[in-house]
Formats: sequence, C-alpha cells, structure tokens
Amino acid sequence: MLAQAPHPLSADQSMPHVRIHGLNKWFGAVHVLKDIDLTIRAGARIVVCGPSGSGKSTLIRCINGLEAFQKGKIEYEATSLGKNTRETAKARRQTGMVFQGFNLFPHLTVLANCTLALRRVLLKPAREAEEIAMRHLTAVRIPEKAKAYPAQLSGGQQQRVAIARALCLNPRVMLFDEPTSALDPEMIKEVLDVMIALARTGVTMVCVTHEMGFAREVADEIVFMDEGRIVEQASSKGFFSGTAHPRARLFLDTVLRH
Amino acid sequence: MSTFNIWLGILQGLGTTAQVTAYGLVFAVPFALVFGVAQFLTTGMTRFLVTAIIEFWRSSAVVVLLFVFYYVLPVMGITLSALTVSALVLGLNTGGYASQAVRAGLQSLPAGQREAGMALGLSRLAILLLIELPQALIAMGPTFINNLIQLVKATSLVSLVTLTDMTFRAKEIAQTNYDPVAIYSALLLAFFVVCYPIALAGRWLEARIQS
Repeated sequence: MLAQAPHPLSADQSMPHVRIHGLNKWFGAVHVLKDIDLTIRAGARIVVCGPSGSGKSTLIRCINGLEAFQKGKIEYEATSLGKNTRETAKARRQTGMVFQGFNLFPHLTVLANCTLALRRVLLKPAREAEEIAMRHLTAVRIPEKAKAYPAQLSGGQQQRVAIARALCLNPRVMLFDEPTSALDPEMIKEVLDVMIALARTGVTMVCVTHEMGFAREVADEIVFMDEGRIVEQASSKGFFSGTAHPRARLFLDTVLRH
Repeated sequence: MSTFNIWLGILQGLGTTAQVTAYGLVFAVPFALVFGVAQFLTTGMTRFLVTAIIEFWRSSAVVVLLFVFYYVLPVMGITLSALTVSALVLGLNTGGYASQAVRAGLQSLPAGQREAGMALGLSRLAILLLIELPQALIAMGPTFINNLIQLVKATSLVSLVTLTDMTFRAKEIAQTNYDPVAIYSALLLAFFVVCYPIALAGRWLEARIQS
C-alpha cells in the first residue's frame, strides 16, 4: 500500500524543508550541540548516527521544538523555530515525530490516538478524521487493532501505530528518534519494514538509529555525530565504502560487529 | 430507650450529614482541580501563592477554621449560615488534600505523553484536558475515594456550629438518656454504615482501573 502511492508532498525536490544554521545547545554547563549546520531537502532520507551521548537525539528534538536551543537558527519554509509559541506550533505541524518509547496515549484507543490531532488541531469532522486514520493504520498494516488500547498491543505494533499517528497530519518531514531501540529483536523488523515502505513513498525523513542495515538500504545521506558535532556528513555510499572519518570508522566497526 | 431507637434517632441527623458532604463537594472538587492543576503548571511567585493557599486549607485545624468562620467573620460584618460555613471549611480542607492527589497524578505521568501531544501540534491546554488530566484523574480515583470518606467523617465536627447532624443528634439523645455505651456505639455504627459502602465502591473502582 505504501509503496504504490507517492507521498503528495514529495513532488518538489528542490526546496529545502528545514535549514539549521549554527545550532548550539547547552544543558546547564554541558555543551551538547556545537555549531550544527544541516539542510533537510524535500525528499531527503537522512540517517543520524553516532555513539550514545553524541547529541543526535537532542538534535532531532530541537528540530521540532521539543528542546529549546540557545544559539543558531532552525528555519522552516514559512516560519522559524523559537520565535514564539505560535511560530513553534506552526513549525511543529510540518513535522511528525516517532519516539523511542512510542508515547501512545494509553487512555485512548488506537483509532482515537490517530484522530486526536486531526480533530483538535486540523479540526476535521469525526468521520473524515477516522477515514484518514484508517488509511494510515492500513498502511502500517494494523487496521484490525483500531478499537484496541495501546496496552493490548506488542511493542512493535505500538510503534507502527505511533508512525501512523504521526503520518495522519501529513507532515512535510518525519522525525524518528531511535524508533527501534526499545523493541525486542523480533519486533524490530516489522517496524523497519514499515519505515522502508514509507521511505519508498518519497516522504522526507530524518532518522536517529543504530540500525546500519536500514541506513544502508534507505538513507541517501548519513550524518555522523560525536561529542555534539557533526563529524561526517556523506552520501550513504560514501559513508559505507570506507572513506569515512576515523571516528566514524571506529563507530561503524563497533556497531557492525554485532 | 432501646438501642434500635437510639440508632433511629441518630439517623435523623443523616440528612444533615449528607447535605454537608454534598455541599462540601461543591467546594472540594473545583478547588482540588483548579489548585492541583495550577500547582502543576505554574512556577516561581505564582506557584508560591498557589501553594500558600493550598497549605492554608490543608494544614489548618478544621475545628479552628469552623470557629473562625462561624464566630469571627460575623464580627467583621460577614455572616454565613452554619451550613455554608461547614461546607466551605470542610470542602476546602478536603479539596486541599485532593489537590495534592491531582498534582501528584499529573507529575507522575511520563514526560513522553506531553511531548507526544506537543509533537502533534496540540496546545498546552488541549494536552492538559485531553491527555494529562484524564490519565491523572483515573489513576488517582482511589485517592479521591479516600478523600471523600475523610469528608464524610469530618462532618461530625459541624455539630460544633449548631448543625443537627448525626453527632449532634447523639449528643442530644445523651442529654435525655444516660446510656453512653449504646449511644456512642450506635453513632460509630451509623458512620460505618455510611462510609463502608464508599470504601467498597473505591475498591471496585481500583479493581476496574487495574484491569
């Protein structure tokens, strides 16, 4: 289903969706992001990797304003982050976020998780919201669980629902923050399969992950971070063919040995 | 006077006990919700003020508050009926306790719930009303039942400001019949009969929440 229909917003490949300039962030005295420059073009599939504590999750959380930053700019097509809450909300509506811990709303059914923002943010009527939600639940291959509650689903199923929930708002950029790190090994594949299918529709993706197989198959750009800096930014081919920065090389060796 | 008649006599005060409880909830529920949420959301000076108001109601002795509001306010030109004073004082005292359950319930939610709401573009108010409060209130249901039982039991104090509740009736009967064992045992039983079903309802609620 996902593989057939191109994403409606994937047509224009020239305009960047998000531009990050000289981004710096501190947690107290700890300098966690240092002079980050990154452009997310329309249709890009960027994988952000690096050792833990390198700032990759913080970076992705800055992109949709979940974390504040102290210096630099994050510009969207129509607005930029951090100006005020209204502009931040406007930017957030252009991004979809998938969390490591799924973060489904446990008191709502799967369907209600997906329709909540459609109804309360985009103000769609109930029926239309449910149609949109069912379309995305079908795309992540879990329509039969629409009436179930999150606690009745496996981790992999919950994460697929979380992906559907984010897609419902038709975001221009999908952000993934280690989407498979909290999953049992046998559930990782079902989530990665959904993400691979999603990537083939041409949707713009930024994904923080340690899944190098996924990166090799899907990413067109790899961003390697270490100690708060982007140490290497390369095409997927370039990154995996051995021309990488020594620290990236070391990281790859460690990750791939598993 | 037979023990049964004593008991019937005491139950004549049940109406007042129920009235003070119900009227007290009219003060307790809004206070707990508004101040619990306010303490959760505010910072700095505002939070200090909110906390001060909660602590005033929570940490003052109920008997003293009853006397202050019933006997001192009229001196300042404000006269409230005994029922209103009782409902206000008992309600806000219970509401003070319940506000802490509301705040704790909100604080115990994982940060990811709020973040997921923010990432979906929901406003702070929408996140509070649609995501945080429903979960916090359900989780705190058993605590609210405890608070309700406390409120029912605290109504025994309103006899001190002339209301004819069950405790007042017991004291009236004690004045005409010297039979403290039968009278106060019957009063104990009367409160138990009112409070135990609430406790049972609370246990039923707890079981439902866990399933």
